[in-house]
This record gives sequence, C-alpha cells and structure tokens, in this order.
Amino acid sequence: MNFFSQIGILLRKELVLELRMGYAISGILLYVLSTVFIVYSAFFQGVTNPMLWITLFWIILLFASVNAIVKSFVQENGNRQLYYYTLLNPTAVIVSKMVYNITLLFLLSLLTWGALAFMVGNQINEFSGFLLALFLGSVGFSILFTFVAAISSKADNNSTLLAILSFPLVIPILMTLIKLSVSATGVLEDTSAIQDIGILIAIDLMLAGLALVLYPFLWKD
Amino acid sequence: MTWNRLLLVGLLTLLIQQMAFAQQAASGDFLRSIGHIYVVVAVILIIFIGIVLFLIYLDRKLTKLENQIKQNE
Amino acid sequence: MIRQSWWKILAVLLLVYTFVAGLLVPLKPGIAEVSPRAFKAGSEVEMTVTGYNSMYSKAKNDLNAWLKLSGENAKDERVLKASSIQVINDRTLKLAFKLPEYLPSESKDDVCSLILDSPVDGAIVLPEGIALTQDSVNFQEGLDLWSVDKIIHLNVNSGLTFPYRSVLYETIRNQYYHVPLWFAMLFLFLFSVGFSVRYLRTFDADADHRTLALNRAGFAFGILGLITGAIWAKYTWGAYWSWDVKQNMTAVALLIYAAYFILRGAFQDEEKKARLSAVYNIFAFAALIPLIFVIPRLTDSLHPGNGGNPAFGKDDLDNTMRMVFYPAGIGWTLLGFWIAAIAYRIEKLQSKLLDA
Repeated sequence: MNFFSQIGILLRKELVLELRMGYAISGILLYVLSTVFIVYSAFFQGVTNPMLWITLFWIILLFASVNAIVKSFVQENGNRQLYYYTLLNPTAVIVSKMVYNITLLFLLSLLTWGALAFMVGNQINEFSGFLLALFLGSVGFSILFTFVAAISSKADNNSTLLAILSFPLVIPILMTLIKLSVSATGVLEDTSAIQDIGILIAIDLMLAGLALVLYPFLWKD
Repeated sequence: MTWNRLLLVGLLTLLIQQMAFAQQAASGDFLRSIGHIYVVVAVILIIFIGIVLFLIYLDRKLTKLENQIKQNE
Repeated sequence: MIRQSWWKILAVLLLVYTFVAGLLVPLKPGIAEVSPRAFKAGSEVEMTVTGYNSMYSKAKNDLNAWLKLSGENAKDERVLKASSIQVINDRTLKLAFKLPEYLPSESKDDVCSLILDSPVDGAIVLPEGIALTQDSVNFQEGLDLWSVDKIIHLNVNSGLTFPYRSVLYETIRNQYYHVPLWFAMLFLFLFSVGFSVRYLRTFDADADHRTLALNRAGFAFGILGLITGAIWAKYTWGAYWSWDVKQNMTAVALLIYAAYFILRGAFQDEEKKARLSAVYNIFAFAALIPLIFVIPRLTDSLHPGNGGNPAFGKDDLDNTMRMVFYPAGIGWTLLGFWIAAIAYRIEKLQSKLLDA
C-alpha cells in the first residue's frame, strides 16, 4: 500500500468515524452557533467597529478550532493506535489528520462567518481576500493544533494541556491573520497585505515541515 | 536551613525596597535624579537579585540530593 | 575546583570590564534645557541654557553659540551668532541674540537649532529646539540678514564618552545590562534546541538534562530581561508596559517556555517526558522564529531601529558604546551558560541517584 493510498484510506476513515459519531461534529456546530448568539446578545446594537468584528470572529474561531481538533486524537484509543502502528506510515497518519482538519476548519470558518454576518452584521467587503485569509488561517491552525494535540494526547489531562501548549504558539499566526483581515474590510488601505500573505504561507510551510519530521518521534510508545 | 536562607533573602529584598521607597518619598522623584542613573542601578540590582534567586533554587536542589545520598548510605 | 574554567574566567573578566567601563565612562556633554523656547523676530532676546556634564567655566572666553535655521535648500547656512555669552556656572549659561526683523522663511513661524561650541566640551547641537515667529514675511530680506554670520570652526570632543540622549540620559548604560540578557536568552534557547535534536537522534538522557538546564537558565534570563525592560520603559517611555511589539513578543516567548515546563510536569515516565518535551522544544523554537525575527521588523516599535530593521540605529550605538556592548553581550551569555552548566550537573546527579 503506497503513501497516497494510505492517506486516502485514512481520510475516508476519519469521515466515516465523524459521521458515525455524529455528536462530535454537531457539538462543534452548536458551539459556534451558541458563541455567536452570545456575541449577538452582548452586542445587541450590532458590531459596527470592523476591528472589533474581526477580533470577535477570530477568537470564536480559535476556540472552536481547539474544540474541534482536540477530538481528533481523543477518539482514537490506544489499541487502535497500536494497530495503525503495525500497519501504516506515521507521516501518512499525520498528513491525513491535517488534511481532514484543514477541511473541517475551513468549513467551520465559513459557518462562523455566515452566522456572524447573519446575527451581528457583515463587515467584510473584499470577499476573495478574506476567503484567502480564512484558508491560510485554517491551514495554520490545523497544522499547529493537530501537532500539539498529538503531543498532549500522550498526557492525561490533554484538553487543558492543548490550550496551554498551543495558544502561545498560535499568537504570531493570529496577529498576522487579524492584520490581513482588517485589510479585507476595505476600511483601511493596507499596502502590506501581500507581505502578510507571504508571512502566513512561510509560517504554515515551516510548521508543516517540522510536524512531518517530528511526528514519527511522537508516534511510537 | 534553606527556608532560613529564603527568609533572609526575602527580608533583604524587602529592606532594599523600603529604602528605595523611603528615599523616593524624601526627595520627590528619586529614580529620575542625576540623569536617571538610579534606573541603571535598579536594573543591575534586579539582575543581581534574579541571579541570587536562581542560586537559591539550585542550592535547594543540591540540598535535597545531599539528603538523599545521606539516606542511601 | 571549578571545572573547565577558562571560559568562566573569561565571563567574569568581561563582566567586570562591562561594569567598570559601562558605569565609569561619562556621558557626552549635552544641552538639558533651554528656557524660554519661543521668540519673536526683531527683538533682542535672552535665554538660559542648562547643560548636562558641561564645563562652561573652564571654557569661559572661547565659547560660541549660534541659532541655525534649516531651509529647503540648505546649501547656504542661515545662522545667527550670539551677541553675548555669560557664564553663570559650569551648568548654566545666559545667551543673548539680536534677532533681525525678518526670517529667511516663507511662513510666519519657523523652528531653529541651537549650536553651542566649546573647546572643552566640543560642539553640542540642540536640534529643532527653538521656535521663532515673525509679524510679516520677507524671505529675501531675511536671507540677507541671516547670512552675515558664519560658522567657521567647530570643536570636537575627543574624550571617551557615551552619547547624550535627552530622553535616555544615563539610562543609555542599560544597553549593557538589559539588552545582553535578551542575547543570552536566545543563545541558551538555541543551544537547547540543538540538544533536543541530539536527544531525538540518540535517545541519550544526558542530552535531555542539558536541554532542561539550558531552558531553565534561558527562562530566568528572559524574566530578568522583561522586568529590567519594564523598569527602563517606565522612565523613558512613561509606562511599565507600553504594548510595544518586542515586550509582547518576549512575554509570548516566556509563555511558550512556561508551557514547556508544564508539559514536562505532565509525565511520570522519564523517557516519555524527555522525548515529548524534546519534540515540543523544537516545534516551539520554530514557532518563535517569526515572533522574534519577522514580526518586529514589520511593526512599529518604541525600541530603536524598528520598522524595517530591529538592530540598533546608528545614533544609538556609537563606536565607544560598541567597545562595551559587544564584550557585555559575550560576558552575559557566558554567564548564562555557566549557570546552565551548574543546573545541568545537578540534573545529572539527580538522575544518577534515581538509577542507583
């Protein structure tokens, strides 16, 4: 079985698992909707400040991502890990999880955007720019959170550990994303958008490369 | 023994702080006097205290090891 | 008695040099204050100049002072010589100027610099410090009136001094005590990553002890850097925490390494602890790279030389300062490694004791 067919099979397995345990994905959806509703109730006059809108958006998405990704290693019990270990390439395992999480987070971010636009109003005027920010953001978040979740799943109290380990690491990505999103509101003429995209791509590539190199060391137990 | 030492250093730090505050109260803005030179003094003092605290931390670890060795014998 | 002592001796010598030279070399004489600072053209005006580290009475009759206007085409000097200079004491001067009716300027108000020249202190410039106003504008007349005097010769202070900065004053010396902590921290973390890589290649517990010790020392230096930086910031920028990009970045770096220690605490098994923390250490350092080397270059900062280049500006680090600053950086870094080495030996002893 070659590398790519392994990834394909693992991706299908993730999807089947997700659909079979429907509560996980619906839990995340509910999480996003209820957070947006809380924001709506707290800012009942509507959020008119674009900076505030963007900050709220990324914070909601950050916590939703952590909650979505922490499950990706919890739902695999020890026996199944051992089974993968005898059968599969570790890089295929982490790549499939990352690809799956990127898709999940991208859809989640679209949902958050839609919900936020519906409830509190839309502040984004340049759709393509913001979509690019969302994509780069979901790539960065999912690489980082998936890898750190792999570390923290080896300890017992892993959801707290995931937050502690990953939040400081996510700050550079988050700061660049917020900068990029502000330029997508069309309020400020930002000339450094290209530079921000470059930084995000560089960070994503670097983290992905390291995650692939380092994951085999987390794998064996 | 280590607790005694900790206490000593804590008291010393308090004393230095008190002195600094007393002088500040006495002469308006002490740290800004003579071209802000006391800001440099404060920085050096903090580095010194920091290094001493690290020494205490190492000292406590060593004491623990010594006690362990004693027990093993 | 002290193991492998040559570099430890070097550390001590460099730090002694840093303390002696860094604290004893005086600041270059400067102008601390001028009052009043605003004048009207066409009158005889008097101003009191307060010097810093100056020796006015020593240079009594050889003092010269000019007001200098900088125009758009500053090819021709537009200067006005002081009509009288009265030395009160070493730190105080009274200058008098006969301001002409018109300024060589297109608007009713302009700012000029004050140049004070003394054979003892050297030439001192207070840039753009004095405001001038005129009732009516006559550029050509003003140009003629301001072209009579010329600056013929300026003295140079040849003594060994550190630069004088009106916001920093003596705290410019903190460059030798606050900034190197940051260098030391970076080097300690860099070496700890190296040992993490070595651990993952060899699974030798010794490399893990080294990583831990280096991270502990680096963390301690980072905290010290943050506290000393906050105090320096309070007296130059006005607040302990100014929401400056470098302050925030250091705080985040410390959070990352605090997470490293928490991660270690989460495991009982020594091998698992060492392996997972080595992986996290490498990953965390990589995530730190954009934090330290990329984002500060793109963001405005109160730290010198930012928005394009986080290194020191040319004005903030002259050659005399370099003579102390580079040894200081090496000295503090070596001290950090010394501390880490002791922490490592304790760690090693502990693991030996556990095995026995």
